[in-house]
Order: sequence, then C-alpha cells, then structure tokens
Amino acid sequence: MKAPAAPPVPAAQALDHDKLYTARLYAVRVRPYLATALFALRVVPTRAVPTMGVDRHWRMYVSPAFVDRTPMRELAGVWVHEVAHLLRDHHGRGDRLARDLGSVGDGAAERLRVNIAGDFEINDDIYGEGLPRPAGALRPETLDLAPGLLMEDYLRAVRITPRTADMAWLDCGSGADGHDRPWELGPDGADGLTPQEREAVVFRVAQGIKGSPGTAPEGWKRWAEQVCHPTQPWRDLLGAALRSAVSSSGAGGDYTYRRPARRAASLPGVVLPGLRRTPPHVAVVVDTSGSVSDTELGSALLEVTALTDALGGRRDLVTVVACDATAHAARRLCADAEIPLVGGGGTDLRAGFARALRLTPRPDALVVFTDGQTPWPEHAPSCRTVVGLFPRPSRTDQDDEEDDRLWRPPAWARVVEIG
Amino acid sequence: MPSPTTPIPVPSSAPIPAPLDVAADLLALLGDTRTEPRADDQLEALSLAVAADLPVLLWGEPGIGKTAALTRLAEELDLPLTTVIASVHEPTDFSGLPVLGDDPAVRGVAMAPPDWAVRLVREGRGLLFLDELSTAPPAVQAALLRLVLERRVGALTLPPGVRIVAAANPRASAADGWELSAPLANRFVHLRWTHEHDVVVRGLGGTWPRATLPRLDPLRLPEAVDRARRAVCGLLGARPALVHRLPGDETRRGGPWPSPRSWDMTLRLIAFATVAGSSREVLSALVRGTVGDGPGFELLAWLDRMDLPDPEDLLADPAAAVLPERGDRRQAALEGVVAAVRERPARDRWDAAWALLARAAETGPPDLVVVPATTLAALRRDGWDVPADIERLAGTVALSRRAVRPAATAGGRR
Repeated sequence: MKAPAAPPVPAAQALDHDKLYTARLYAVRVRPYLATALFALRVVPTRAVPTMGVDRHWRMYVSPAFVDRTPMRELAGVWVHEVAHLLRDHHGRGDRLARDLGSVGDGAAERLRVNIAGDFEINDDIYGEGLPRPAGALRPETLDLAPGLLMEDYLRAVRITPRTADMAWLDCGSGADGHDRPWELGPDGADGLTPQEREAVVFRVAQGIKGSPGTAPEGWKRWAEQVCHPTQPWRDLLGAALRSAVSSSGAGGDYTYRRPARRAASLPGVVLPGLRRTPPHVAVVVDTSGSVSDTELGSALLEVTALTDALGGRRDLVTVVACDATAHAARRLCADAEIPLVGGGGTDLRAGFARALRLTPRPDALVVFTDGQTPWPEHAPSCRTVVGLFPRPSRTDQDDEEDDRLWRPPAWARVVEIG
Repeated sequence: MPSPTTPIPVPSSAPIPAPLDVAADLLALLGDTRTEPRADDQLEALSLAVAADLPVLLWGEPGIGKTAALTRLAEELDLPLTTVIASVHEPTDFSGLPVLGDDPAVRGVAMAPPDWAVRLVREGRGLLFLDELSTAPPAVQAALLRLVLERRVGALTLPPGVRIVAAANPRASAADGWELSAPLANRFVHLRWTHEHDVVVRGLGGTWPRATLPRLDPLRLPEAVDRARRAVCGLLGARPALVHRLPGDETRRGGPWPSPRSWDMTLRLIAFATVAGSSREVLSALVRGTVGDGPGFELLAWLDRMDLPDPEDLLADPAAAVLPERGDRRQAALEGVVAAVRERPARDRWDAAWALLARAAETGPPDLVVVPATTLAALRRDGWDVPADIERLAGTVALSRRAVRPAATAGGRR
C-alpha cells in the first residue's frame, strides 16, 4: 500500500488497522451484497477527522482514537453507514439540492441538515440483522418522522433547532453532503476513484442486489431498481407519447409536394415543395367519476395544454370531453375559460371515446385520463391513443378472466402512469 | 462635401477617429483571449468518434458552445468546417433540386446539389456540421438523415474524407420536440454535450481551454483490434440477451440501444480509444452513447475484468506477482485465482495460490483475503500437506475469528 498523503499520525496514536479491517470483514459477512463497495473504499488515517468520514472519491478518513474507543461491531455499522452515503449519491444529491434551493447563508447549519437528512434515509434500515445500532445513531423517529423516505423528503422536515444541535453524531464528510472538508485530499490526491470507476462500483453493487435479492432489505432493493432503471418523470413520458401520437398523423408544419411553393414562379423548370402547417387537433377524455380527484385532473390537463402549445397547436383545438358513466358536452379549451368538469357517478369511458371520435374535425390524437376503473372499447379508435393512468391499488375482486380483460387498459393505447 | 466658404475646424490634437474604428478596437480587445491546455473528455470522445468515421449526434441545450467546440475540433483535425443550419433550409437543399431538363422522360430528372456540397466534393475533405437538426420540419430531417447515413446529397456522393457531425436539442428544451425513431437512433453515436461551469467562468474572464486531442499510436493497432474484439465477443458470448434489445419505454426511444450494428460500432470505438490511450471516462461516454447505459456499463465492467491480471500468470510466478491496488479489484483477482485452482486442481497450483494469498495479506488489507482463503482451504485433497505459506496468513485467520457473528445478536434488534 502506498502511504497516503494525510497528516502524519504519531506512533502512540497509530491506527489499529487490525480492528478496522476486522470490522470491515464483519460488515461483509453480515451484508454480503455491499462487499464490492466496502472493499473499494481506501482508508486514510488522519487525526483531523472527528470520527469517520468519506469523500466523494471513495476515500475513508478514519480517526485512530475513534477506532480505539468504538466496539468492533459498531465500527462495522459505521463502515456500512458510510458506504451507504456514497452508494446513494448523497454528495451529488446534496449539490443538486443546494443549487435548486440556492445556497442558504449559513453553510455549517445547512451542511448539518443535509447530513442529518442523509443519515435518516440510511439508518432506517441498515441496523439490526447482526449490526447493532450505534448509541448516537440518528433515526427519523427521533424527530417523529416516518421511516422509509428519501433524503430530499427528510430535508424539508429537518430544521436546525437546539434539539438538533447535538445530533451531529458523525461528521460523515463531503461524501454525505457535498461540502469539502479541510482534511480531505481533494480530486487530485492519491488513490481516489474517478467518476467512471465510482459509477462502475455502484452499478455492480446494484446488479448484485437485483441478481439475488434474497437478503437485501426493501430500501436497498428499491435503490438497486432505481440505479438500473431510473424512473422517468411522468410529464416526460406523457409528452413523448403525445408528441409521437400527434406527429404520426402528419400534423404540424412540414413540406409537401401537394402544392407548389410560392417561390417556384421565379424558378421555371425547378419543382419546389411548399411548406404547409396543419395544427394538431387533440381530444381529451377526462374521467370525472367519483374516484378521481380534481387535483389529479387539474395537473394532467395543464400538462396536455402546455404540450399542445409546444406542438404548434392552438388552445382552441384542444377539446375536452368530461365523462363518467355518460359523456357530457365536449368543450373547446380557451385561453382563460374554466373547463366545466361535470360528473361524479360511476365510470364507463366507452361513451367518452365514442363522443370524442364524433368530433369535427376528427382529432389527430386522443388523450384519456382515468384511474382505470372502467371498461374499455373493444376496438382501437381511428387515431393514436394515449392513456394517462392515475395509480390505484390493484383490484382484487377481479377473478373472472373475461371481466379482467375488459378492465385492463388495451394494448393499442400507450399507457403512462401518472404521479 | 463641405463648401469652401465654411472652414473646417481643425482639431488641435490627434484626429478624431471614426466611431466604428473605436468600436472595432474595443471588439479586438474583447476578442483578445488566451488559451490554456485542459483535458476535455467531451471533445476527446467527439474527436475519436469523428476519427472512427461514425455518424455522431450531439445532444445539447442551445447556446452552450457546440459550434465553438466543432470549430476547435476542425482546427485540430486540420479540416475545413462547413456549418449548415438545418432549420433554415428546405428539404430540396439536401435531397437535391429536381431540375426538369428538355426531355425528362428520356434523360430522367437531375437532382441538382447545393453549392456547399459541390464545394465539399471539390475539396475532397472537410468537416460538415449539421446544426439544429431537431428544430427542422420532418421532411427536412428525413432528407438530412439520408445525407448523414448514406452520405449522398442529390446526385452527389460525399468523398470519404468528409466527416459528418449532427447536433440536436434534447426534447426537454426543444419546443416542438423531435422524436428520433429507434432504427435511426441505432445508427448514431449519441454524445451528451454539457457546459462546465468553471470553464465558462474562466473563459469569460479571458482564458479559454485548449484541448489536446488524442494522437493515434501506429504501433498499437493490432493489439487494439484484438482487445476490442475480445471484449465485445466475450461479453456477448456470456450475455446473449444483450445482442439485440429494442428500447422498451417511451423516453428511451430516441436514445442508443444495443443491436448487432451498434455493437459493431462499439467495437470500432474501443479499438480507437485503445490506440489513442484514452481514459475510461472517454470510453464510457462513447460506449454508453452507442449501445445505451445498461449494456454500456456491462461492457465497461467486462473490460475491467479483462484488465485484471490473468490467474494463470499469477499462479505461474506467485513471488513476482503484481496484484491490483484497489481493494475490490484485488479481491476479484484473488477470487479468479481460486476459481482457476478449482477448475484444474493440482498440488503445485494449490501451493502457488496459498503463496499468492499470503503475498496479498502482507501487501494490503488482510480482510479481503479471508473469503478466497476459506474457499481455497475447502479445495484440499487427501494427501496434500498444509503449505508453509499458511503461517504467513496467521494474522488474517485471527482477524477472521474475531469477525464471527455471535449467536446472541444474530436475531438482530429492530
């Protein structure tokens, strides 16, 4: 091993490597799915760090005195805790939060808040199963918060009060909140991992958890799923679906040889296409049955309007059909008019489909917002269909196969889960 | 012209310069910037893809300096740069103007190419940059894609010395978002172009970065081709599912995905990156931009594994073996050695493996030797004596004993 360029540690204060590595081996034995990440950490002994902390380059700064006074199994818990900060990208997320919220004046307090929120996210499920909870470990329950949330959620709830001042259980370093510490070696120091190497380690750990999910707790499984298949915001998905639905019907601005260009008169003997604009007509069928809330509908409708604007359409070409068990009047969206969403009974969207397809001019794309508790039409409509589905717990009383087929969103529609 | 009766006021000092001359001086002063060398992974990846003669699609927000980067690249590659902004052209500019001759039924209709294409063909070499692909009308895009993929403009074919780079705005920032169909997306190397905050600040302060582009080393060609083939064939042999996989969900449709074609492109890019001695970051951007994130990661992990020392070499000479420094890779190398012994168990190989483990325990953290040592001990056959090297592992054995889970806490406290 190369000697790390940290402040020298006198012999009396030398790091008990044996104890530290014993703790790491123990951590690997009780949490085998984290082995790759635990072994990838580089230990840097330094007296500048109060306890143990990591930086974003996967170096772990260890205080010899802390190792001496902490029992081996608790040290293993700290190993797992620190590696969880890095795997869950708390430094990157902390940076993003700081950028989004604007740097709040008091750096130290803000740093503490991010670190505490990150600790909450980790600590709610890493202890137990052979790892004793260290005495001062923070849990969301200490601030009466629910376990199982993410750092971003906890950050909103954590306020720096006299009660939190003594919560600085561990200073986990820049790997936990993205603020550099004086003792850290920085990006050019020895033995750091490059961004690509870090990504590779994270990806390997996530794949390991996904490959044999038997032992990992629920929080880690969720994390692994997120790393391998990051979820897309529903607005992007809805936008992509609506765009491809509208553009497939030939709506929008495009060149066509059906009419000669106006410039063609000055170029005899040359055939030029003309640019034509056909703004898209979008019909929106809204499920106004009792089971869909107005907030859900409002956000979805706003999204459709914005998308249509972006597609070069006009607001007055978006038609909204409110539908519960029967289709109500079709209304054009206008700049500032309210959409009367009448309804509130049971659901049968087939009437809404039929009403929307009878519109003149015929819609280029059909958007349906529903919670899915409805029968669907047998045949595909004559235009592309996008279904925005509000999530609901799955229906358990559907045993009948024939019935079940009727209640599932059909294959000819592009389904986007909303929310 | 002043009339002769009115005297012209003569300035006592220097002549008053014309206002535009002052403006020109100020502009010259503003344009007087210095450059400093700085590694630029994005530009390096782009230049490798251009060198490999693959069609590149840059995804980047408007106004972050894609054109400036292309200008720098053209200077470095010593190619004349032709920029064509797609959104202000008509499809006929790319598919050729149908000019009706005197007897179209006999002679056919000539598709006359635009002047820039004629110039490129006359030069025989150049860098063609097609900007704002995503804001052009669909017919223009279709004509452009034919130019990018078939290298044809009207009746002209662009010579092989012309390299083509296209740029598009990501859907999130383009108002009339553009859907790239999956077959087309598969033919491009997609590179994300982002700006670096500190580079922009320093540049506005008067110092722009100057990227040093990779030099291809003529001595490494055969080795690079061999390595690229081994990597791609090895991965696809082990993971048949990765050979062809259409993108599943809506938002990944316009992105890169794995197919035999894009794997072929990946192979070419690995070879180029190896010859240029590029860093892992550059290779990562290229590979993930060709086959997508997931398969790209798997390929990089596979390359990592290929870079580990060969277990057979380690077993052949344990005393001189060089083990990787990084903990997780060192552990992977040791696991590889134990697996090699399991495949062909023999007394001398078993002893060599123990010597290796002892070496590893002495030169690095002892805890990662425990699992391979346990596995190796289980491979023992009757009649094999315990090797002397095992003494050197005493510290590791003690460490392993201390790290045993006590039965009392196995239940765990919640």
